[in-house]
Amino acid sequence: MKTSRASLFGGFAAIAATFVVFVIPFLFIILMAFKDKQQSALRDFSWPNGFHLFENVYEVVKTRNWMMITAFINSTLITVISVTLLIVLAAMVGFVLARRKTRWNGLIEFLILAGLMIPPAVVPTIWLLQGLKLFGTLHGMILIQVAYNLPFSIILYRAFIATIPRELDEAAVIDGARPLDVFFRIILPLLWPVTVTNIVVQSVGIFNDFTNPLYYLPGNQNATVQLTLYNFQSQFSTAYNLLFTNILLITIPPLIVFMFFNRQIVAGMTAGAVKG
Amino acid sequence: MAGLELKNIQKTYGQVEVIKGVNLKVEDGEFVVFVGPSGCGKSTLLRMIAGLEDITGGELYIGDKLCNDVEPRDRSIAMVFQSYALYPHMTVYDNVGFGLKLAKTPKDVRDQKIREAARILKMEHLLDRKPGQLSGGQRQRVAIGRAIVRQPEVFLFDEPLSNLDAALRVDTRMEIAKLHADLGATMIYVTHDQVEAMTLADKIVVLDAGVVQQVGSPIELYQRPANLFVAGFIGSPKMNFAPVKVDAIDADGVTVSGQDVINLRLPIRTSGVNVGDALTLGVRPHDLAIAASGTIIGRVTLTERLGNETIVNVELPSGASWLAVLAGDHILNRGESLSFHAETSKAVVFDKNGQSLVS
Amino acid sequence: MTASAVATLKTQRRPLYPGWFYAPAAVVYSVLFLAPTFASLYFSLTRWTLFDATFIGFDNFAQFFREPFLIQGLVNTVIYAVITSGLKVVIGMLLAVMLTSQIMARGYLRSVIFFPVLVSTIGVGMTFTVLMHPTMGMINQTLAMIGIKGPGWLVDPKLALFSVALVDVWKGVGLATVIYIAGLVAIPKDYYEAARIDGATKLQNFFYVTLPLSRPATATVITLSFIGGLRTFDLIWAMTKGGPGFASDTVASVIYKQYQAGFYGLSTAGNVVLFILIAVLVVPLTMVLNRKQGHE
Repeated sequence: MKTSRASLFGGFAAIAATFVVFVIPFLFIILMAFKDKQQSALRDFSWPNGFHLFENVYEVVKTRNWMMITAFINSTLITVISVTLLIVLAAMVGFVLARRKTRWNGLIEFLILAGLMIPPAVVPTIWLLQGLKLFGTLHGMILIQVAYNLPFSIILYRAFIATIPRELDEAAVIDGARPLDVFFRIILPLLWPVTVTNIVVQSVGIFNDFTNPLYYLPGNQNATVQLTLYNFQSQFSTAYNLLFTNILLITIPPLIVFMFFNRQIVAGMTAGAVKG
Repeated sequence: MAGLELKNIQKTYGQVEVIKGVNLKVEDGEFVVFVGPSGCGKSTLLRMIAGLEDITGGELYIGDKLCNDVEPRDRSIAMVFQSYALYPHMTVYDNVGFGLKLAKTPKDVRDQKIREAARILKMEHLLDRKPGQLSGGQRQRVAIGRAIVRQPEVFLFDEPLSNLDAALRVDTRMEIAKLHADLGATMIYVTHDQVEAMTLADKIVVLDAGVVQQVGSPIELYQRPANLFVAGFIGSPKMNFAPVKVDAIDADGVTVSGQDVINLRLPIRTSGVNVGDALTLGVRPHDLAIAASGTIIGRVTLTERLGNETIVNVELPSGASWLAVLAGDHILNRGESLSFHAETSKAVVFDKNGQSLVS
Repeated sequence: MTASAVATLKTQRRPLYPGWFYAPAAVVYSVLFLAPTFASLYFSLTRWTLFDATFIGFDNFAQFFREPFLIQGLVNTVIYAVITSGLKVVIGMLLAVMLTSQIMARGYLRSVIFFPVLVSTIGVGMTFTVLMHPTMGMINQTLAMIGIKGPGWLVDPKLALFSVALVDVWKGVGLATVIYIAGLVAIPKDYYEAARIDGATKLQNFFYVTLPLSRPATATVITLSFIGGLRTFDLIWAMTKGGPGFASDTVASVIYKQYQAGFYGLSTAGNVVLFILIAVLVVPLTMVLNRKQGHE
């Protein structure tokens, strides 16, 4: 029973350490969001004097003419549409890439790896988006997110498609399936585990993205929640309760994703990542 | 219902020739088995018939229709795959009905056909399950059900039994034979197992290195193999071979001898055979019997006693190893010297090109 | 039947894996990613107002390597990438070993360590900016309680970059841990049993079995976090904006600053520099990481 005592001690130590390092910052955010302006100015780890969360939320949401509402709608639209497009487009590429061996495969894989590594050329992209009348629009932002995140999704899909037996495609063809039938009725449903991973990883990434909206969505009208937080920073510089309420608000969507998909994230992400 | 004709069918991958001009006629309702060692091209040939592989050269007729460039769905074929290839996310019902759904068959007709197929295969109770919940034998059944529901003119089977265990394999083999008898459809069946070929086929096509070695009924192939390859491939245990030389020729046969056989008279075609020619003698293990003054003498190296028969492994003077299957139980000692009589009427002789000389 | 008749029919057969499946992805990717990347090679050689580009040769690059603060950004970027990926590898590995052992509350520990990965980088940056305030921040207030005078995490020029890197590790180590967990779980138990029969201690187990066999996971963690580190922008921008002075500037923040200032050509040159920096560092790195696992 010697080992169990050691592991018990180790367990407590690990829980304590992770609590201090990882949990306390989140508790701090939550506590700050409950405080009033005076108390939050102290920026200490203390119990709130009174319950001010709802006032704070109201205050944050109505700032600059209810900009948070617009921002949440924008962020949701960008996230949902670009993730949907990503899934279909990436799965189509992954499918053909894993199945059909041609001399182009090498080039395509090179481009995918390049997309993972190369930082986007920002100013030329802005110039191009302006030419296409997409600069500062949600459409443009959605397409940008699709373009930038395709390589990662394709890699996840390709690794998984390679594990689906080719005989399934052939059985479907014998059954009379056309290529689109094979893809949408056989392959895509079977990709569900990776699709979940893709949904989680990409939606969290795109929802939390700050850099790309900063460059490609200037101005207040099409702001995303991350931009809103950044823009409010100066306004809230003396009202820490509002700043942290804002942080808390934009942490809720990832938290929901996390609660629903905790297990799948770990399983799916690793399956693709280590192989890829 | 329809027959099938292959005219000089060829397949190349880049520079590699996989199928080298196959000619074959399959009659309507016939059960044809493609058999050969792995890599002989039998699966490729089947997949070309299915339309899963492009045909490089030659013509493929299904019924009267030239099908080289017809999509698989328009060839009126169905195929059962080695791994069954059931769609894992669909129930058995949907698996069987998938082809009908794609063909936009009305729902009630579809339902009726699916249930009919399930009834034939005695799997009505499995319809709501997913493939993952089925045993190997049940999956096999679903795969066959998926094929028959399409009412194809030609059934294609690609090594359908190789993933089953030995006992189930025998059962399923019989069921396929019964299905053929019931449906009367043309069936083409690929296997590397010559026992499956012998038991199922009306006609066997032996393939090696992309070339048809022989086409014939199982018994023809067993009794009169066209060449050394077929002789060695068909029959279990394998045929024994020994090099011999022609000693004498008369009107209806030759006398041969070699290191391992002495003065064996064989009733074969003599045209083109000269005294002194080197030939290969083939004797099936079942055609050897212990005889006091036998022409073949060897020492026992191993005995396998199966009760009803005894398989003896003997070493001949040249060092060659032969098998003899003796009826009944025999107790033989390792190192013991035995002499065998060979049933010469059933023996086969091959010329130096490996072609059979038996008329 | 003639050969030509067969040939004309052949065109009617549709391939099972049609090439046009690439098309939608290829269009989006080429127009919005590849085209600007190629365009950047030209525009980095110009003085550029978005409406009008004047070719000036390598002046932008010359300026980039002449200005001390720009060179500082380049050096900072490499330091930042090395520190963050190094720490993520080491800590991620140790956490994963701990989380795959028979420790209690594994589910809690995994969740807690992974959750920051999902949280907004800007939010994390702002939170830690508050926590790291030299006098009012919780970290230094806590240190003061036990009699230590905490450093000026984000205001000390010598420290700012490292403080941001630490926060980056805090936020990203969960991902490294998860990748390692998958790598460790995939190691067949046989190796540990064989090692046990050979009399290996726990430490020997770690060095002779776990470490070499989790190499693919290490390669993934290093590559991902190193590229991430070189490209990092949002955390630095949220916490220090490259300051104090230029002490925590990286190439990515320099690109943004030049863009804001309207130096579009210079900004694009920064992009090309970052691109080259990544290519020069990451390509050999991945080659080394993947070469040694030749048995796979």
